[in-house]
Amino acid sequence: MTTGVIAQRTGWEVLVKGGSFDRPIRKVVASDLMSDVLVVDEDDMLLLTSLASDQVLRTAQVVGAVGVVVVNGKPLPSSMVSVASTLGVSLLKTRLSKYEACVALSQMFKEAPKP
Amino acid sequence: MNDAVSSQAALNADDERPSIVLLELIHRMKVRDVMTREVCVTDRDSPLRAAQQIMRKQGIGGVPVAEHGRLYGMVSMPDIIRAWEDGYIDDPCRTHMSTRLVVLEEDMPLAFAIRYFGRYSFGRFPVLNREQMLVGILSQRDINRALLRELAGEVKRLESHSGASLPPPAGGIFDMYMLREFPVAKLDFENAGKAANQIRLMLLEKQVEPRVVRRVAVAAYELEMNLCVHSNGGVLSCLVSNGRAEIIARDNGPGIPDIEWACLDGTSTANAWIRSLGFGAGMGLPNVKRVADDFLIESKPGGGTRARVIVQLGVQSDGKPSAPETSARSDT
Repeated sequence: MTTGVIAQRTGWEVLVKGGSFDRPIRKVVASDLMSDVLVVDEDDMLLLTSLASDQVLRTAQVVGAVGVVVVNGKPLPSSMVSVASTLGVSLLKTRLSKYEACVALSQMFKEAPKP
Repeated sequence: MNDAVSSQAALNADDERPSIVLLELIHRMKVRDVMTREVCVTDRDSPLRAAQQIMRKQGIGGVPVAEHGRLYGMVSMPDIIRAWEDGYIDDPCRTHMSTRLVVLEEDMPLAFAIRYFGRYSFGRFPVLNREQMLVGILSQRDINRALLRELAGEVKRLESHSGASLPPPAGGIFDMYMLREFPVAKLDFENAGKAANQIRLMLLEKQVEPRVVRRVAVAAYELEMNLCVHSNGGVLSCLVSNGRAEIIARDNGPGIPDIEWACLDGTSTANAWIRSLGFGAGMGLPNVKRVADDFLIESKPGGGTRARVIVQLGVQSDGKPSAPETSARSDT
């Protein structure tokens, strides 16, 4: 399952296609606390958050995340798109709550063919 | 192009990456280090003619109107020219001085002041202290003079170390040599994280294993955020040599009264605003310890903090990385 496939199936808005858009996701982390995200020791994570700030993207890059999904349909500061483009981090947006987005992703991962 | 604009252009010369030395200087130096402290002032009841005489005598283009250290306005050369043209040169300053003032505070980094010169057309800014009293004036000439003096010192320092810092020939991880320093400004969230990400990219370019790179990047990022949030600004450095990365964060901030407490999970002094940005959960230093092979932090209240992290980038020929070691020292 890649960020690209998720975007295609869910219709979540893709604001930036990063370099890892088509890389398989190995873990999904949902958190508004970047300190929590930094503790996760896992490659190729997809980060779900309701925090709309540039620091989310910098954190995502530090941990090598494949992308960031901002939930709750939050309006994003214009700087986020340019920072995501500069860093090469995929940036998506959905109107779903964090919980609903997690449920949707869980369902998709369950239904995805096992590698 | 005025001096301030040329200073800004110098920051963006060549490949648009500003000189690290210059950046570090303008973030480390404060307005109070550069400003002229002997300020010639006039008072509100003195005539504009008196202000003009001060300008002529001192060779300056503007005079603050202040009484007992309290700033009330500025009289500039255009004000004087208008006064002559319209015939009110003997009117008191209070009736024609500019009262919509843009001021600097003496604690501000010089980088902030340089941006002000680029943003506004003023040739000088009055400088106030925390009690809002006039303590100096900052002109573009002051900035250029101070930067030239400091840069000359930096060049001398680099020249004296140039022999020792030559990199060894390129090869594997254990032949790699890299030294980079990054200034980190207080509460500069626009740029916080850039240093850690640059370190990460440099290590990835050198083919260091991504899981190891992430440990280095996480340590650098947490320390960088600490500098941004808790210090008055500082420097993050990364030295790669002998098959290991050494990250050092140093600042001259308020220091940590109780390091043992600060290293506990969940302890934090961050305010609500910092927390709203997703940080300040009190997991920074514990997380740094978690990813480090060696961690040392020294701090003294009022004397700044120095944190050092070592991460082994690979396995030595004997098959063992160095043993993890954690220590803390606080002078209270």
